[in-house]
Amino acid sequence: MAKLITVGVLALQGGVVEHLSLLEKAAAQINLSPQQGKPLTFSFIEVRTIDQLAKCDALIIPGGESTTMAIVARRLGLMDSLRDFVKVQHKPVWGTCAGLVLLSEQASATKQGGQELLGGLDVRVQRNRYGTQVQSFVAPLKLDFLREKSSTEDEVPPFRGVFIRAPAVEEVLVKEKLGAKQPVEVLGVYRRNDADGQGYTFGGSGKLWIQCGMGT
Amino acid sequence: MATNLNGAVNGVGDDAFTVKAGLAQMLKGGVIMDVTNVEEARIAEEAGAVAVMALERIPADIRKAGGVARMSNPKMIKEIQEAVTIPVMAKARIGHIVECQILEALGIDYVDESEVLTPADDQYHVDKHQFKVPFVCGCRNLGEALRRIKEGAAMIRTKGEAGTGDIVEAVRHIRTVNAEIARAKAALSSGGDLAIAAMARELGCDAALLKKTAELGRLPVVNFAAGGVATPADAALMMQLGCDGVFVGSGIFKDAKDREHAASRARAIVKAVANWTDKQALIEASIEHGSAMAGISNAGLKPEEKMAGRGW
Repeated sequence: MAKLITVGVLALQGGVVEHLSLLEKAAAQINLSPQQGKPLTFSFIEVRTIDQLAKCDALIIPGGESTTMAIVARRLGLMDSLRDFVKVQHKPVWGTCAGLVLLSEQASATKQGGQELLGGLDVRVQRNRYGTQVQSFVAPLKLDFLREKSSTEDEVPPFRGVFIRAPAVEEVLVKEKLGAKQPVEVLGVYRRNDADGQGYTFGGSGKLWIQCGMGT
Repeated sequence: MATNLNGAVNGVGDDAFTVKAGLAQMLKGGVIMDVTNVEEARIAEEAGAVAVMALERIPADIRKAGGVARMSNPKMIKEIQEAVTIPVMAKARIGHIVECQILEALGIDYVDESEVLTPADDQYHVDKHQFKVPFVCGCRNLGEALRRIKEGAAMIRTKGEAGTGDIVEAVRHIRTVNAEIARAKAALSSGGDLAIAAMARELGCDAALLKKTAELGRLPVVNFAAGGVATPADAALMMQLGCDGVFVGSGIFKDAKDREHAASRARAIVKAVANWTDKQALIEASIEHGSAMAGISNAGLKPEEKMAGRGW
């Protein structure tokens, strides 16, 4: 009997069904893959309560408004359980967009009075890094980790990155200072010219991390 | 499953529409609140609103004041943009291309081409494909929703009857949309493209978009509730009827006793929308909400007093 793997999607607000739908697709793909031996059994659930979170082996925090998610999580009494899930139990967690903001140890460009974060990822993220909605854009990304094992010689086709009022990681924090056990591994970098033609500049380095992972 | 709904409508799998419709997807499960100044915008942000709608007067006061209602003063909109980090929306009159241009240049995140303001064009809505800023538009039925999407709207909301605090029209509109989507699905499965074409003629909408809707079993863009939401129960009702999120116009600040009462109402409605099936949470939200705006019964309004009839 295969072990049941339960993946939750934090369903306080935002792109919940999109993630659930992609999880279903990914699960089907894993089980079709020739490398996969025994089929894995997955359960994908929406998470709004402590009990639902306790069932999860892994969690996705979707895109949406990070301020809203933090405020709602606090009011539903979920914040401490989420922190425990991420920082004490060290279970796998994926953050998309607002999810990245919540998983960061520090955030800039937050609302007046600051914003509550879960933390866990030793980076400082800047909210709405690229400006408002009209400055949002789609850009092709070169993400080498998407290379399939069977096609190491091939060029990886660009991934279509959608940046809607998107955050960016502006700094990987020095781990000693925060006493972190695991280093941050940068899996992909999006490079963009400093000026976008509309008079906005994005820091001195011209480098923005868009994808981060904690080393295992 | 509602995946990538927004990527492939309007014959647009293109990047511009992806970016426009994508923000609406990020707002799902959230509450968008009408605010008229910086203080109200901050109350909304602290309560957990996913966005604010900046306008000079809330719909209940527009209704009361009469006269011509227009786009808000850019000075006020700018102040609100500076005060909050969540998206800021603003309303333009139906068909008023230049108000839309001004709002786009201000860096507004979403334009509401709204029947709450006095229409500027009695024939045409704005050609929304010409803008980089995304648009939300109101609808009373599926045909109206798909006409707006065809024109480039990246988000739809029910019209309801703004400024009344009476939910009946919003319920009528979402139920009409749902029933027509069910009928389109049945038409597609029984009569294929010919049946869809016949229904598209009847509704006065684009056949390809109607077919897409029938295939998806829902509108091809995000659909929010608006127009008459006054309590947490109203908000949860609209979610249970299939809306993706809720606009609250007058319901937060109209007849609020003080700042704290308005903040409680705002928090309560956010809680209800995040937990729209959880009865315990809805009890708590209803207690926190306190008294609602007095409101005006929709049944007592004369046809010329209704805003939902503006636009086509």
